[in-house]
Amino acid sequence: MRITQYLATKLKNFSNLPKEYIERSKKQVYYETPKEINYLPRVVERKRYRYTMNRSWTGQFRQQNMPGTMRRKVFVEPIADWSFFRGDRIEVLVGKDKGKQGIVTQVIPERNWIIVEGINWHYRRVGAEGKFPGIIIKSEAPLHVTKDIRLVDPADLQGTDFEWRFTEEGEKVRVSLRSGRIIPIPETNNQTHDYKTPNAYIEREKDTPAAVVGEISFQPKLCTFEMDIMEDMGIKEERTPVKSYWY
Amino acid sequence: MSSALVKCFNLAKAVKTVAFRSFLGTSTSTIQSWSPAATVGALSTKCGLHTSYPMRQEKLLMEFFDDPKHWSENEVKVGRAWKTDELRIKSNKELHQLWYILLKERNMLLTMEHECNEKMEMFPNPERIDKVKISMENLETVVRERNKAFHLLETGETGERPQRQVKNAFGLPMVYRSCEHALPPFMNTKWIKSRHVSCGGRAVQKFLLKYREKLYNAKRKAKNRSRNEVMMILRRNPNFDLNLLRNRFPDVDIDKLRQTDKTRGHYVPKVDV
Repeated sequence: MRITQYLATKLKNFSNLPKEYIERSKKQVYYETPKEINYLPRVVERKRYRYTMNRSWTGQFRQQNMPGTMRRKVFVEPIADWSFFRGDRIEVLVGKDKGKQGIVTQVIPERNWIIVEGINWHYRRVGAEGKFPGIIIKSEAPLHVTKDIRLVDPADLQGTDFEWRFTEEGEKVRVSLRSGRIIPIPETNNQTHDYKTPNAYIEREKDTPAAVVGEISFQPKLCTFEMDIMEDMGIKEERTPVKSYWY
Repeated sequence: MSSALVKCFNLAKAVKTVAFRSFLGTSTSTIQSWSPAATVGALSTKCGLHTSYPMRQEKLLMEFFDDPKHWSENEVKVGRAWKTDELRIKSNKELHQLWYILLKERNMLLTMEHECNEKMEMFPNPERIDKVKISMENLETVVRERNKAFHLLETGETGERPQRQVKNAFGLPMVYRSCEHALPPFMNTKWIKSRHVSCGGRAVQKFLLKYREKLYNAKRKAKNRSRNEVMMILRRNPNFDLNLLRNRFPDVDIDKLRQTDKTRGHYVPKVDV
């Protein structure tokens, strides 16, 4: 129980993409040995990526990690338990928005970053050419989870330190150190690109309905899969196989 | 391949066979209608293709393509992959049917991806391929579990293809996967000759020495790398949780590392009042 709790992260992936796809889309293979008997399976590929605000399956990510380019290593300190989730109310401790509170809209655990709605704006000027001064684009800059922010206590709406503790039921919760109140993980954390809540998911054309998925049609039988299928299809095997040896 | 497909596609268009319904459309029907074999029609004789079971006349090669209404879409939303727990409660027959549905879906997706690449267009939601792949892997796991259980009950063996660790001509360990032979091993001279590999020679010993050195170096470098990592973390964050570091980097002596100059930042340390 403890181990599963330890391994399972409460942070829900907003894109809802399978891990395999994220890995596959990120991959940059420079050379791979041919699939021949005289080659050992070896792959020369990019090992280190620069994670930024661009998610790893997007074209912008690839542009920032163009094949053959190297960038300086970014040291990301390890974090024991990820504690900031989408929808959390946090207080900013640094910068020009110091002391302000905001809602977390995006989480980037690869860099220990979060984005807070309307906090820490930064401005970029793009398209300046000749006399045209360009246009200003503003977007939220990321905040570091260990240094720049702290959670807000729901009891008095003041910033507070917190601790992960276990409830009587064995559930792991965040507890405010000042008021001792549980800071619940917001529902927004479970939202994905595909649905707001799992129950509100609209079934598409190719989806199997949930009721059909839950139906139990398996009945234990003393036969292999192939034997069962053959019986179903009315295939009868009457030939006796020649004796063979496995070695 | 693609041009042939495009030709067939055009042909299909010409005979007005655009009406194209997906097999996986189970939103209105029950699980019985999943069955790809349920659609029994006339054997397609127009195309010079061998089909192992009769297909409906109107579908033909268009089954390799997605629904035309999805062609210009930017996003085609689908659900998640089948989990093993969901597949475990399904009967063998349904798993068999689902396998072919997934196979056809995978063929369709790979065809569409190829065609989109040819036409320089975006292939919407490429993660669908991964979802189908995960489902197929999970399905295979479940089927193997069932077969293993049967064989273990009946024969006491798993019934899987036997394999064992052997050393190859270079003295490196490799997995030898057994094959089925008509002759017993002592009579099979060809096999005996093919398996007769000696790995005790001086050249092999020399090679192994160097190979092990290479492995050792990789290990040593990994250790150095993690040591440097810890050093840099401590330098950047002087008050870092040491227990966490000890858990994450068990092979690094952190107390010893704390004494070194490199873990100290290049600034005047703050004095707590």
